[in-house]
Amino acid sequence: MNDLPTQRSRERVTMTEHTTTDDVLPDEGTPVATDSVDAALESLDSDGLEGYNYAYLDEHTKREVRRSVLKAVAIPGHQVPYASRPMPLARGWGTGGIQASLSILGPEDTFKVIDQGADESINAANIRRLAENTADVPTTTDTTEADLIQSRHRIPEEVLTDEQRLVLQVPITDALRTVDPSDAANRRRHAHKNYGKMWVHLYENVVEYGEIKISSRYPTMVAGRYLMDPSPIPRWDVPKLDHADHLTVLAAGREARLYAVPPHTEVEPLAFDDRQFTVERFPEQACHACGSTDTYLVEVSEEATEDGDNAFETRYACNDASFCAKRRKNPDLPKDHHLEEAVDWGPGTPDAPTDDAGTPVEQGGAGE
Amino acid sequence: MGYVAVTAGEELIERAEQLFEKQRIDDDADDIGVDQIEGQLGRLTAQAMSEGGLYAPRLAALAVKQAQGDTVEAAFLLRAYRSTLERFDETTTVDPGEMIATRRVSPAFKDIPGGQILGATKDYTQRLLDFDLADGSPEDPTAEWELDDEGDPERLTNVTELLREEGLLHEPDEPAVDEPNDTTRESITHPPERDEVLQELARGETGAVTALGYSALRGYGQVHPTLAEVRVGRLPVRIEHPYTGAEVTVTHTEVTESEAVVPVYEKREDPQFAFGYGLTFGRNERKAIGMTILDASIQLDGDDEPAENAEFVLDTVDGTDSFGFIEHLKLPHYVTFQSILDRIRAIRERKGLSEQSRVETDERPADSAVAGTSDDD
Repeated sequence: MNDLPTQRSRERVTMTEHTTTDDVLPDEGTPVATDSVDAALESLDSDGLEGYNYAYLDEHTKREVRRSVLKAVAIPGHQVPYASRPMPLARGWGTGGIQASLSILGPEDTFKVIDQGADESINAANIRRLAENTADVPTTTDTTEADLIQSRHRIPEEVLTDEQRLVLQVPITDALRTVDPSDAANRRRHAHKNYGKMWVHLYENVVEYGEIKISSRYPTMVAGRYLMDPSPIPRWDVPKLDHADHLTVLAAGREARLYAVPPHTEVEPLAFDDRQFTVERFPEQACHACGSTDTYLVEVSEEATEDGDNAFETRYACNDASFCAKRRKNPDLPKDHHLEEAVDWGPGTPDAPTDDAGTPVEQGGAGE
Repeated sequence: MGYVAVTAGEELIERAEQLFEKQRIDDDADDIGVDQIEGQLGRLTAQAMSEGGLYAPRLAALAVKQAQGDTVEAAFLLRAYRSTLERFDETTTVDPGEMIATRRVSPAFKDIPGGQILGATKDYTQRLLDFDLADGSPEDPTAEWELDDEGDPERLTNVTELLREEGLLHEPDEPAVDEPNDTTRESITHPPERDEVLQELARGETGAVTALGYSALRGYGQVHPTLAEVRVGRLPVRIEHPYTGAEVTVTHTEVTESEAVVPVYEKREDPQFAFGYGLTFGRNERKAIGMTILDASIQLDGDDEPAENAEFVLDTVDGTDSFGFIEHLKLPHYVTFQSILDRIRAIRERKGLSEQSRVETDERPADSAVAGTSDDD
C-alpha cells in the first residue's frame, strides 16, 4: 500500500551524509582561543566569512537537519520539526531551503538555485552566493548538471534523475492551514488521517464556483497516508512528484518544519471523480522566445498592437529560463533528452494527455 | 534574456547594498559612533537585544547603526550572529529578588518592603519638544545633587511573594519536565509549555507584544491586571566554575521585570489571583508589561480571545518571522500569480462572465456546476 522509501532511496539519503558524521568534534563551530579572555575576544574579532564553519552552519546543526531529513524520508509527507536557525537571510526568503541545502551539500556537489523558475532572479543569486561563499561548491544554471537544486515554487521542466535531489522552499507547511489556522488541531487531523474538512472545502468550492479554486499549494496525498502542502509550485508541477526518480525535500525556515517525498512514492492531488485535478491552461499560447507549447508559461508583457494605442496583446514566455534557453537553440528538445528512455514528467511528456493541438489538457491524479 | 522582469546577479545586489550604505553618509554630518548609540540611544539597543535574544550592548549598537535605526532589522542581525556562536554553558537560575534596582514601582501597594524607587523616568514629564536639545551642549542636570552614601542596596522582596505567602496567588502547575526547552534549539510544537511561551514572548517584537497585550485590556480578553511591581535593574549572570563547581558571577545584564495579578478566580471554593510575568533584556517597560498581560492571558487558555490563544500569540509575536514573511511579498510571484489567473479565468468563464473567453465556451458540455467532468479543453 504505502510506498515506503525503497532501499535505493535510503541509500541515496545515506550518501548525502558525506560530512563524516563520526569524526565531528563536539567543539567544532566558530573556533575560539582559550588561552585567555583577551585571546578569546581577539579570536572572535574577525569579520567576513572566514570565521564561519564550512557551509555556514555548525556541524551539529547540519547533522540535526540531516537527521530530520532522514526522518522525513522515512515518513513521506509527514512534517518533522527541526530547530530552524536564524540565517543571514530574511525568514520567508528561503531560509528553510538553504538550511536543508547547506546540510546536504558537500564540496563535490554542483548546486543550482532557481527562484520562480529563474536562475537569474536576485534572490536566487543571493542564495547561490551564500552557498558559494560558505560551502565552496560549484554552481550551475543547467538543470541536468546539478546534483542539488534549490527551488522556490517550481520543479524544473527537464526530468530529474535518481542522481539528483530537489529542495523546495516552503512558506506554509500545512495544506490544512487553508481550512484551520491551528497547528495543534491540524496535527490531530494528520494523526487520525482525518482530511474531511479539506474534502468539504473542495466540495464547497465546486458548489460555489463550479471549480476547485485552489491555484498553487494544491493539497496532495503522499503515499496514501499524509496530506501534504507541496509548497506553492503550480498545479502543473505536482504530477512530476508522483513516482519520481529523485528525492524532494521540502523545508520551511520560519515554521521550522521539514518534509519529504522520497523517490518512487505515490503522490496524488485531491480531486473528485467528476472534478478532476487540472493543471494550468495555456490554450493556443506558446513561448514568444522559444515557441514551446508544452512548458509552464507566464504572461510577461503587454505589447501594443497595430490596432491602436489602447490595444494590447499579452506575450507569454517559458517560466523555466534555463530550459527555454536550450529550446531556443533546439526547439524540439524533449524534456527527457538527457535520458535513455522516455519518462512521464507531468504535462507535455509521453503519458500526459494532450488535445489535438498538442496542448496538455489535464493530468489525472496519480495511481489511477 | 530580456524577458525575466528581474534579471540580476551579484553585481546588482552589491550595488543596491552600496546605495543603502550611501544613505547613511549622504549628508555632511559626522558619522555616528557605536559608543554614541550605545550611550545615547539605549532604548534602541535594548529593544534590539531583547528581540534578538542576545545580550551584547556593543554589538547591538553596531547592529542599530548598520540597520540605520530599524530595530527589527537590528534584532535580526543579532540573531543571525547568535546562531553561529558556540553554546558554552548554561547559567544557574537567578532570583530576581537579587536585582540591583534603579527603578521599582508597585501600583498594587503603597508601602512595600524596600520601598518604591521612582528612578529615571519620563512618565510624569510633559511631552513638549525640548528645542534646547537641538543644538544644546550637554550639561549634567544632577551635578548639584547632594548624595549621601546610603550603603549597599537592600534586597527587594518581590511583592507577589507577599501575596503568595498569604495563599492568594494561584500556583501554576508543576511542569512535567523541569528543564526548560531552549526554543532556539528545539522548535515549538503546539500546544506549548509555559517556559516556551515565556521565551518566545521575551524575544517578541515590542510593538506586537504591546498591541496584543493591549487587545486584552481593550476588551478582547478578560485580563485587566494589577501590576504587583515593575522593576528595572541589573541581574547577575552566574555560571558554575568548571573546576571548583562554585558559582561565579561573570557579568550583569540590565533587565526589566514585571509581575501582575489578575482577579480571575479559577476555583470557586478557593478564589485566588491568576498571575502573569514579564522579563525583557534592557529597559523596555512597555514590552515587559505587555508580556505580563499575555502570559496571564495565555494561562487562561481561552479559545475566543486572540490574546488567550497561545498559538495565535506565539505565531504572530516574533518580529523576525513577521518581518521576513511580510517583506517576502516583494519577491517575484510570477508562477503563483499565473496559477491564480488561471483559476479566476476558469471560474469567470464557467459563470459566463468572461468577455474574451480563453476557452471556447461551446466546446464545454452544457452542464450544471456539479455534474460536469473536466472543464479543461
